[in-house]
Amino acid sequence: MPHNVNTLNDAELSVAVLVSVGRHPLTGRARRADHDARAVEMALSLGDASVQLMHAGDGGEACGDAMRGYLGMGISRVKRINQDPDADVVPALANILRFAAPQLVLTGTRAETGEGSGLVPYLLAETLGWTVVSGLAEIESIEQGVATVLQALPRGKRRRLKVRLPAIATVDSSAPAARQSAFGPARRGELADCACASVTDELQTQWRVQPARKRPKRLKIVKSASARDRFKAAAAKADSGGGQLLNDVTPEQGAEAIFTLLKEEGVLR
Amino acid sequence: MSETIRRDPRREWIARNRLHPEHASVLLEMGNAALSEWPGPNGVVRKNPRAVGFIGPNGIKRIDRSGLQQGGQAAATTAAPQDSRRTVTIEDPAFLVAVVPDMTGGRLSGHDKDLLGLARQMADADGEHPGAVVAIVFGEHKAAALGDAGIDRVVHLDDEVYTGFAPEARLAALSAVEREMAPRFWLVPDSQLGGGEQGRRLAVRLGERPATQVWHVEADEHSATGWRCTARGAAGTSDITRHLPRVVLALAECAEPVSETRHAAQPVELNQPLPDVLGRIEDMGEVPVDPASVSLAEAEFILSAGNGVKDWEGYHHAAQVLGAAKGASRVAVDDGFMARDRQVGASGTWVSARVYVAVGISGAIQHLQGIQTCEKVVAINLDERCDMVKRADLAVIGDAGDILAALVARVERYREQQQENRDAA
Amino acid sequence: MLNTILPILIFTALALAVIGALRRIRLWRQGRPAPVNLFKGLAALPRRYLVDLHHVVARDKMISNTHVATAGGFVAAAVLMILVHGLGIASPLLGGLLLLASASMFVGSLFVARRRINPPARLSKGPWMRLPKSLMAFSVSVFLITLPTVGLLPEGLLEGSTSWFLVVVLVGLVAWGLGEMFFGMTWGGPMKHAFAGALHLAFHRRPERFSTKKGGGGRSTGLKALNLEDETAPLGVEKPADFTWNQLLGFDACVQCGRCEAACPALAAGQPLNPKKLIQDMVVGMAGGSDANYAGTPYPGKPVGEHHGTPHGPIVAPAALPEGASLVDAETLWSCTTCRACVEECPMMIEHVDAIVDMRRHLTLERGKTPNKGAEVLDNLIATDNLGGFDPGSRLNWAADLNLPRMADLQQVDVLLWLGDGSFDMRNQRTLRALVKVLRAAEVDFAVLGDEERDSGDVARRLGDEATFQSLAKRNIATLSKYRFQQIVTCDPHSFHVLGNEYGELGGVYEVRHHSTFIAELYDAGRLTFSPWKGGSVTYHDPCYLGRYNGEFEAPRNVLKALGIELKEMERSGSRSRCCGGGGGAPITDIPGKQRIPDMRMNDVKESGAELVAVGCPQCTAMLEGVVDTSAEVRDIAELVADALVERPAGEASGASRQPAATPTAEEVIV
Ligand SMILES: Cc1cc2nc3c(=O)[nH]c(=O)nc-3n(C[C@H](O)[C@H](O)[C@H](O)COP(=O)(O)OP(=O)(O)OC[C@H]3O[C@@H](n4cnc5c(N)ncnc54)[C@H](O)[C@@H]3O)c2cc1C
Ligand code: SF4
Ligand code: SF4
Repeated sequence: MPHNVNTLNDAELSVAVLVSVGRHPLTGRARRADHDARAVEMALSLGDASVQLMHAGDGGEACGDAMRGYLGMGISRVKRINQDPDADVVPALANILRFAAPQLVLTGTRAETGEGSGLVPYLLAETLGWTVVSGLAEIESIEQGVATVLQALPRGKRRRLKVRLPAIATVDSSAPAARQSAFGPARRGELADCACASVTDELQTQWRVQPARKRPKRLKIVKSASARDRFKAAAAKADSGGGQLLNDVTPEQGAEAIFTLLKEEGVLR
Repeated sequence: MSETIRRDPRREWIARNRLHPEHASVLLEMGNAALSEWPGPNGVVRKNPRAVGFIGPNGIKRIDRSGLQQGGQAAATTAAPQDSRRTVTIEDPAFLVAVVPDMTGGRLSGHDKDLLGLARQMADADGEHPGAVVAIVFGEHKAAALGDAGIDRVVHLDDEVYTGFAPEARLAALSAVEREMAPRFWLVPDSQLGGGEQGRRLAVRLGERPATQVWHVEADEHSATGWRCTARGAAGTSDITRHLPRVVLALAECAEPVSETRHAAQPVELNQPLPDVLGRIEDMGEVPVDPASVSLAEAEFILSAGNGVKDWEGYHHAAQVLGAAKGASRVAVDDGFMARDRQVGASGTWVSARVYVAVGISGAIQHLQGIQTCEKVVAINLDERCDMVKRADLAVIGDAGDILAALVARVERYREQQQENRDAA
Repeated sequence: MLNTILPILIFTALALAVIGALRRIRLWRQGRPAPVNLFKGLAALPRRYLVDLHHVVARDKMISNTHVATAGGFVAAAVLMILVHGLGIASPLLGGLLLLASASMFVGSLFVARRRINPPARLSKGPWMRLPKSLMAFSVSVFLITLPTVGLLPEGLLEGSTSWFLVVVLVGLVAWGLGEMFFGMTWGGPMKHAFAGALHLAFHRRPERFSTKKGGGGRSTGLKALNLEDETAPLGVEKPADFTWNQLLGFDACVQCGRCEAACPALAAGQPLNPKKLIQDMVVGMAGGSDANYAGTPYPGKPVGEHHGTPHGPIVAPAALPEGASLVDAETLWSCTTCRACVEECPMMIEHVDAIVDMRRHLTLERGKTPNKGAEVLDNLIATDNLGGFDPGSRLNWAADLNLPRMADLQQVDVLLWLGDGSFDMRNQRTLRALVKVLRAAEVDFAVLGDEERDSGDVARRLGDEATFQSLAKRNIATLSKYRFQQIVTCDPHSFHVLGNEYGELGGVYEVRHHSTFIAELYDAGRLTFSPWKGGSVTYHDPCYLGRYNGEFEAPRNVLKALGIELKEMERSGSRSRCCGGGGGAPITDIPGKQRIPDMRMNDVKESGAELVAVGCPQCTAMLEGVVDTSAEVRDIAELVADALVERPAGEASGASRQPAATPTAEEVIV
């Protein structure tokens, strides 16, 4: 590795952000991907770090639109590695990262198009032999080749981690929202294209991809000894369909009903 | 954990009362006898694995769960509920399905149980040659329940190095399981609780291309693995149907949890000692957050106040007791009772809580917009015809102050009971 | 003696005035070029001044008379004075006229002085307080020095050693007067308004606002498009010099009368905006300096003296600078509801809203700093073509049971019903249902665009996102060009305004009607019959984008009258109606103040004593209904009409126009 973590302190911190083509969930229009944009935001909030944006993709119109979205955040250029549409982008990205040798790579948690498996950062980390951490909410500090970060846990909780650089970190929706993308800088920004041989992702060609179906709602299965209880439970479910209204109850009765609901939903800790 | 020794009058009383069902265990504990199991400070059973079990005929460590080993403690402390489940023991499995449950707080989560249900389906598919479900469990955990969830074998790893956030050490352990047991499938919950991350690390380390966000698995004779799966792609907007790979990261409700059978949950040990890993990630521990100030967008339980709240102290107290994040209507914000970043609605934050309790909020359209994606809405309001009541899954009509006070009392009682149960356990 | 001093004084003052004027012009010329027909403008000046400006000033009779006397007197006196005392043409006739002129000016200045005794809060103080005295000094001294000319005073009085004192006093007074009136006019005194004001009228950026001899003219309210094709053109206004030169000139014309500030809803709500101060800040910026000398009402919550600017420095501090380090804070610009009350009131016909939107354009397009929900709303518009980020395919879900005819099926209709983004709003859907019911009752041949409709771009444009506006507008225009229709009818005044007044510049010219106008026409044509009104007392709230923007004050009132409703007008109604607070993206940027604008408006309703307020705008409905603890109900005119509909009696089936029975039109009288 070209890294010498001990000297990181002296050199300017260099951060690469891997950005992808986002897709609006309702209209399918190309846009900057939400997680990736948050990753860019996090990189920009690192003060005087030098930030490079990289994208490997097919360079089509959607790609251009999406990249303008990132440029609009005040980025002067995006390095775009042109790949065939069905290429596996990991080799190309690994290549360029090895060459650019940033100390920290930020990515979104998963892409808004394609497989969206969220594997890319792990694959890159394994290929490059770097550390990988997921779900960053904040980077608290970077000192002496070690980043102190907050990892997001469910329910707004946070865990503090110290991560040895070079590292790849993923960012999801608990990180601060991305700044607005403005028209002027988006128009001025540069898309710096470069070529790199494509490695076709063979496996993906065998998959069948459809728009997401609605998942069936799981029925509450009542396991009860007696048929009568089961029947009662089923009947109770049916009539509470429209929402329950408790009128003319004492505060205690009302509180009991709320309490039961809170417990059922598992929010009382 | 605190080192202070606290006197516990109740325990002392149990220790004195020889007829108390917990007498034996309390006595043992108080006397600091060598125990294999004791309740940890937050109700989680801690175990000393070295003090448990014996070496079985084929060199694998076995643990006798009859309770006979437990310092002579009585077999069952609580009367087991009448049980209609079939007990299944798989002696000689044709293959293994490995599951790495999240086990948050030492318990199987709902997600874990769904995943075990899936594992069971895959293990039991061929009735002639059933496979076994082996769970790899890190850290301390609540006893029992494992077998009920469909686990045949348990690899329990509760060394220090696995506690907290230790993906690297855990990955090394999972690799060891792979080497020694070569499970046919690996199932990991695709969750934010660690599973999603651990599963991806594992897949990459094993050089397998996993299926992620899997929500449906069915048999498929054309598939090399005999199964095909449907997985969410493109951030949940597409469905990818493909042959099931070896490593599967599945979503909650990917299958029904096991309910008909009970399994052995037999402990197994790894033969080789685990290598030391040089971790490059250091866990500094959870950062304490005040539930009331959790960002609204992330909160799962919100107690929201509107123009109908008169007793503000009571409201803040209630939020604290319930452990809920605080929200507000615009009027409550405008009137200066709540901070601006607490406003829920069109011009505030859009929230997606599991439970949203609207206290004295009429349900103006701009407010309702902000709670569209909340799962359960509870309204506390004087006016039964207001829009919030119409939106609510549960509406209690009455004065907000009174109802909150009663709710606080009820929850406090519950907390005490819980504490007692914990003490008693 | 005096005869030698006076010409020197006069011509020195004139020379200084010319130098000052050149300097001032240089300041204006810092601005960007603007296409203005200089000669035509100058030729139109007298009419613009005497007719249009006076039309505005005359809303306050006292002030208008005062101004006629003072300004008229001054202009005449100044000219005559140059002739009589400067060039020494001492004809008694001229002298007499000069006496008259200065006397008139003196009378005027007395009134000006009286007004300054206890000035209303909206007037600026500072140098303006000395203006009446200067006016008096000028008029009195001119009067006195002219007396000898007409022989009313012995010539010798001012000669000889005894009168030295008198001469010194007189010369002093004349110098003071000339100083204020000539020198001050171009060097930045209160009289600057006369010089800049005259040129501003001549070179106004919206010449359409002025009437012509042939009549017509009057309203020009559409925002002007940015040229997005030219990548070198600045996107909006970053620094004072980015305004066009005639905008800068316009700022200089402000008389600090504060009429705009008295009308501004944002200021009244305690938000950090005061249109007068904003214009003055622009003047400070164009000349360079600090706002410390400003002597009027400050922006609420922002002390005077902390802001300063230069012609080529940023108006709003970039994030890096600490707050207050620049000319204006962003939240000042974002407080405006674009209600145009200030523009409507301004006697100098200054265009506040244009300036504010110009500066917002820079903040949004260059800096990406649209506050609060602004960025989200703009992202929604870009991704889904509607403000709320709803599935564009669900635009017509609310009307699933109504079987609305689609343009795509019919291709050609009389009326294209533009639904607007209110289609996604549950409250507005009730209005839309009512409107559809009315159209059906009147058997109107109409259709909707359905999912082909997009947001009109009103909010995007007013939030400064010209790029998104133009993208929406162009796509809407392309859609509309596929179909044939006579007119567009909409219940949303914002869409009405944008489609009618702002799409034209981009190639979409349509006949657009607000639903109240259209309903009034249907009623007049006898196509609607109403049952008598049985509800309580009603008042009407004029939506800014219908009234001030488009001059439609009558139709809604006529509809209400047709319903049998006698209106209890609010104190501020018609062209002086107070904004609901919903325009210009203000609810989205949501700059906090002391109270909310709609609360004040509902208070106006309460004071009128009405139990119901009729509105004609989805935004107004939302804003006014969002007010808590009020007794008055908020209903759209369409709803009131739909409720009152009765089956038409068979005999009166069609075309029995009500028009003749009511007021006969001009043609009918002639025929
Ligand atoms: C453009 C715009 C944007 C807006 N954005 C938002 C927004 O983001 N969020 C938001 O909240 N609002 C928003 N509003 C304001 C919204 O329209 C309502 O005014 C506001 O939500 C009402 O707040 P409320 O329900 O607390 O008050 P109210 O409407 O006054 O309701 C108070 C409720 O409390 C009940 N009540 C009274 N006393 C008691 C008691 N003792 N016990 C129990 N119940 C009692 C009453 O029955 C009533 O239902 C917006 C409005 C506009 C116009
Ligand atoms: S347009 Fe309305 S809100 Fe804006 S400055 Fe003028 S009066 Fe104030
Ligand atoms: S901008 Fe117009 S209305 Fe406002 S103070 Fe100046 S002259 Fe008067």
